Amino acid sequence: MRQHLVLYVNGQRHEVAGADAFSSLSDYLRNRLRLMGTKVVCAEGDCGSCSVLAGRPESGKLVYRAIDSCIQFLFQLDGAHIVTVEGLSNGHELSAVQQAMVTHHGSQCGYCTPGFVVAMTGLLENQPAPSEDDWRCGLTGNLCRCTGYTSILAAGTHAASQAHKSLTERYPNEALAAELQLLIQEPVAIRDGSRSVFSPTELKAAIEFLETSPTAKIVAGGTDVGVQINKRVIAPTIFLDLNRLQGLQEISLSSKDATGSSRSVLRCGVRARWVDLEPVCHEHAPEFAEIVSVFGSPQIRHVGTIGGNIVNGSPIADSLPFLFAMEAQVEIAGPRGVRTVDINDFYHGYRQTDLKAGELLTGVQIPLPTRAQSLSLYKVSRRRDLDISSFTAAILLEVVNGQVLEARIALGAVGPTVLRARQTESYLRNKPFTESVMQAAGEIAVKEISPISDVRGSADFRWQLTRNVFLKFFHQRARTAAKSA
Amino acid sequence: MKNVGQSIEHDAAQGHVTGTAPFLEDLPLPSDALTLGLVYSPVACGKITSLDLSAAKQVPGVAAIYTAADIPGHNYFGPHFRDEPVLADQQVLYVGQPVAVIAAESAHAITLARAQIILNIEAQEPILSIERAIKLERFIGPGRRIARGDTRTAIAAAPRKLAGVFHCGGQEQFYLESQAAIAYPGEQGQVIVHSSTQNPTEVQHVVAEALGVAQHQVVCLCKRMGGGFGGKETQAVLPAVLAALVAQKTGRTARLVLTKDEDMCSTGKRHEYRVEWEVGFDLQGKIEGVRANFFSNGGASADLSLAVLERSLLHFDNSYYLPHVEMVGKVCFTNFPSNTAFRGFGGPQGMIAIENIIHEIARDLNVDPYEVQLNNLYGTEDRNTTPYGQLVRKNHLPEIMSQLAATSQYRERRQAIEAQNKSDVLLLRGIAIMPMKFGISFTTKFLNQGNALVNIYTDGTIQVSTGATEMGQGVNTKIRQLVADEFGIGYDRVLLMPTSTEKNPNTSPTAASASTDLNGTAAVRACETLRGRLAELAAKKLASVELGLTESPECVIFEAGLVFDRRNPAAKLTFGQLCLQARLERIDLGARGFYATPGVDYNRETGRGNPFLYYTMGAAVAEVEIDRFTGSLRVPRVDLLMDIGRSINPAVDRGQIIGGFIQGMGWATAECLVYNERGELLSHSPTTYKIPAITDLPPVLRCDLFENNDNDENVARSKAVGEPPLMLAISVWTAVKQALSQAVETEDLRLPATGEEILRQLYRRANVAKSEIDAVETATNSVAPRAAVMINSPHSN
Repeated sequence: MRQHLVLYVNGQRHEVAGADAFSSLSDYLRNRLRLMGTKVVCAEGDCGSCSVLAGRPESGKLVYRAIDSCIQFLFQLDGAHIVTVEGLSNGHELSAVQQAMVTHHGSQCGYCTPGFVVAMTGLLENQPAPSEDDWRCGLTGNLCRCTGYTSILAAGTHAASQAHKSLTERYPNEALAAELQLLIQEPVAIRDGSRSVFSPTELKAAIEFLETSPTAKIVAGGTDVGVQINKRVIAPTIFLDLNRLQGLQEISLSSKDATGSSRSVLRCGVRARWVDLEPVCHEHAPEFAEIVSVFGSPQIRHVGTIGGNIVNGSPIADSLPFLFAMEAQVEIAGPRGVRTVDINDFYHGYRQTDLKAGELLTGVQIPLPTRAQSLSLYKVSRRRDLDISSFTAAILLEVVNGQVLEARIALGAVGPTVLRARQTESYLRNKPFTESVMQAAGEIAVKEISPISDVRGSADFRWQLTRNVFLKFFHQRARTAAKSA
Repeated sequence: MKNVGQSIEHDAAQGHVTGTAPFLEDLPLPSDALTLGLVYSPVACGKITSLDLSAAKQVPGVAAIYTAADIPGHNYFGPHFRDEPVLADQQVLYVGQPVAVIAAESAHAITLARAQIILNIEAQEPILSIERAIKLERFIGPGRRIARGDTRTAIAAAPRKLAGVFHCGGQEQFYLESQAAIAYPGEQGQVIVHSSTQNPTEVQHVVAEALGVAQHQVVCLCKRMGGGFGGKETQAVLPAVLAALVAQKTGRTARLVLTKDEDMCSTGKRHEYRVEWEVGFDLQGKIEGVRANFFSNGGASADLSLAVLERSLLHFDNSYYLPHVEMVGKVCFTNFPSNTAFRGFGGPQGMIAIENIIHEIARDLNVDPYEVQLNNLYGTEDRNTTPYGQLVRKNHLPEIMSQLAATSQYRERRQAIEAQNKSDVLLLRGIAIMPMKFGISFTTKFLNQGNALVNIYTDGTIQVSTGATEMGQGVNTKIRQLVADEFGIGYDRVLLMPTSTEKNPNTSPTAASASTDLNGTAAVRACETLRGRLAELAAKKLASVELGLTESPECVIFEAGLVFDRRNPAAKLTFGQLCLQARLERIDLGARGFYATPGVDYNRETGRGNPFLYYTMGAAVAEVEIDRFTGSLRVPRVDLLMDIGRSINPAVDRGQIIGGFIQGMGWATAECLVYNERGELLSHSPTTYKIPAITDLPPVLRCDLFENNDNDENVARSKAVGEPPLMLAISVWTAVKQALSQAVETEDLRLPATGEEILRQLYRRANVAKSEIDAVETATNSVAPRAAVMINSPHSN
């Protein structure tokens, strides 16, 4: 068992043990390595100023993606090559992105600029000819208060037209990838005083660890745990890091559900990242793909996992209304084996789940909408991108010959958990699919919810949205029908 | 080639993109430097009954903890009145008010020490809304009033009358670099302060007063800020004073950098306003008389609130001739951090108040608001004096409006949108146009001055220091261009040095959009002095008895790095050669320049005068698209047209226009400051406070400059650009209003027009739509004063 971390920063190898292993990557870069180009503004992954690139081996090559260094623990980055803004230029020679940002006046005060340069480089690493829309969607994780973004978009477009010199040329690739690949196949355990972290490679070891350390904080992407620690909401001392558990990142599609019926089912390992789920959803669950595309920011999606979103159990979790409406099954491994639970039964209260001490969520099976099912997902937030929802909903109806045969309604941010509006569902069944029925459904739904007023919206707002989504669903369908007619 | 007029790259762009341009948090400090952390009041209003620091002082790594009692000089400061304590003194006035400063070897020690502090506060009932302050008649300073004509009679006699109450919310500056300062002691009682400040002189003054030393014992420097937007005009003072206090007392370097949450919880913002208005107009929508009562949320001390309020009154006319008008304003005392400067400085609130009225008139008459705007627009020959008596000279507003209406196809699009709305059940669209006129100069006369120091070296390179501070707006770049052109050299031969009170004393804040105007002109004047000396020397060197050329300094040309006599261009000196020669001949190569804006004066007692040197003008058209069921807003297209005279640097100015517009759009549509009933800010970080992201940028955003060469009042015929474009974003808000006017009979749209606010307007019914302010009011009234409260960080919720 290795008792130190190995990571590369701008091509330099670093071995880390002790307290540093528990620090955030941004603190390590700034305080230990004195790489001051990486700025920390919010310390919660909501501004992107601390963006760095994390290169990890994928199919024998290093793939670099932007991450928020403020909410990544160093122990999560064992076996990664971190490239900071300092590692992008070659001596005094600016990279194409850097030069384009200078030429196109992409910086004003300069505080967000390193983060933008990094995120833009990451985008070009993975998308050779981005459109303006790709640039916009690719940079939602970076806030700028000065420029109004126009000049940054111009710089991006220009940089893309130049020959972008990939980081795989700038830094040794295959050799580094091979070394890092070996590193992440070893389990790691690090201790510093009362703090410890265990990164097993096998599920069995993880379960055993949880049995002896039931209070361990389980970390995969860490995008929420990191925020809670930075903001001193929690101060865990024992961590179980899932990042090298084999197999639990896999995404697969099968054509039979648990009962053996013919049905497309998407299975995601607990640490399937959003970035990997996005293309699969685009093809097989386009409604959910839209939600995934505004889930956090690219930096968050590059590390955040579907398992994290489920276990976190927030009533405003973006993925849950979809999972509730699809009646997804969560897979749980524990000392006494594996069990599955319908996600509709998984939450017992505000951020309380069915997981017992020593149990670990290992995956989720999501039956996908059939041809007869009509699904709409709603996410209302103050800002379209990189915002936590004020309200979420999933409406799934099966309408045959103008009659509603099946209805599933899941609503988020209107109670302590995401909830199914069961009375509304039973009202809708066997009713004609009309505007007045949907309006009546909204009136029933508001009686099933108990929203509160908070920083993201008032209870009144959430009541009104609950009413309105039913009508919106109806009019969206009417428009689609009119178009196809 | 001239540098002025070129889109030269930002002064620090290379440093920005490589991450090598340091901010205060990045600077290396001596190994014994102290880290500072503040202890904040958890209570909005109350009396400190005890503060026990003994356990906290014993925490390993804690060097010292200071409270108000440890401040050797004045604990109170403020630009208007000395009413703001550096550290709370017996009374706490808002949640997040600094009560003590902890100096420690590490951030961790500060965390541990904070937990050991026992702070007991006897809570009193706070004032948490403008309405409450009005009810209790709690106002700060004297009211402001500007009036012309007989408003009461004019309104009474007008064919149509309307009245209403308009609310607009505040806005967080959200500079990315939080408030920060570093201080270290010097000899003879001196202290050197590096501050992220728009106002080094004020930092110097307040540090001296608080520390009980003289002004010549304090040096304040600022190399750059990671954004300011007004938030560092007065409020950079507090961290600077506390760092200086620790440096003075411990003899060690001290650095204080607030976290984003601390910064947002403890510093002031753009003022929230309540405007009560009444208007009388004719059937063409021409305003005959208008009255507006402004109430701003000042927070717990005066800060700049009176000046901000004054600018609201001075911009209520926006671009319209108001024959009979009465504007009065009051700053309300509330238990919030003292609100302060923010780009626009009261102008946005004044302007949106009249744009709201214009749209209400248009709705009343069932006409296009554009017609109402045109019928009230300032004239070029008559109807062109402002309510305060200043003539609107060189008025390009009519041309700007007609040009933009044509290029944006405003009328055609409006028709199309209204037709589309009739059949679209999912989306509701709106479009609005607006003019904008913003007065340039500080309305406080003495601030209209700038000084500069220009040093030439013997290789012909130049260092320039001015009172302007660089916060990203490009003032350094522009001054570099101006100076380079004075000597006909490349801009790379000129460097702008850190702003320091040691080189530039008694400066004005970098504010009011005027820093290039003031400091750039001062730099040019210093250059003129130096050029005179150099021309004299060059004339001597270039004189030729054989060619019959007498010494004629007026014939000396500085061009392309060379100096020559225009009568004999073949004989040339390089600029560097001439500078070296000057030193050898004992000619002074350093000079200072000074500029005081001529002709500006304003009497705030009578509300009359010429507060502005000139006006920056512009216009905007915004189109919006609203989801009828969720209220979600998109802005698909914006067209901007700005008159900024002759641009010194078009790319920098374009960056200011678009950046200012998007920032204004955040204010108008998205940025929501949410407090709970205890006066705690709930939206204190980007997770909960949403500034525009890149996807909020309108997909079509056209930004054009209006050709104008007549601003001979100002340096290089340019016009100030920093603040004015922010107000063009009011068009996005009025576009929402215009959209709503097609869907509901009446509305009282507030700002920001968030999805929630829009939905509230679309579904106004009894069981919904209880206003936030009423909710706060009720909650405030019902909350019993809390007794002893343990200290907590302001973001513990």
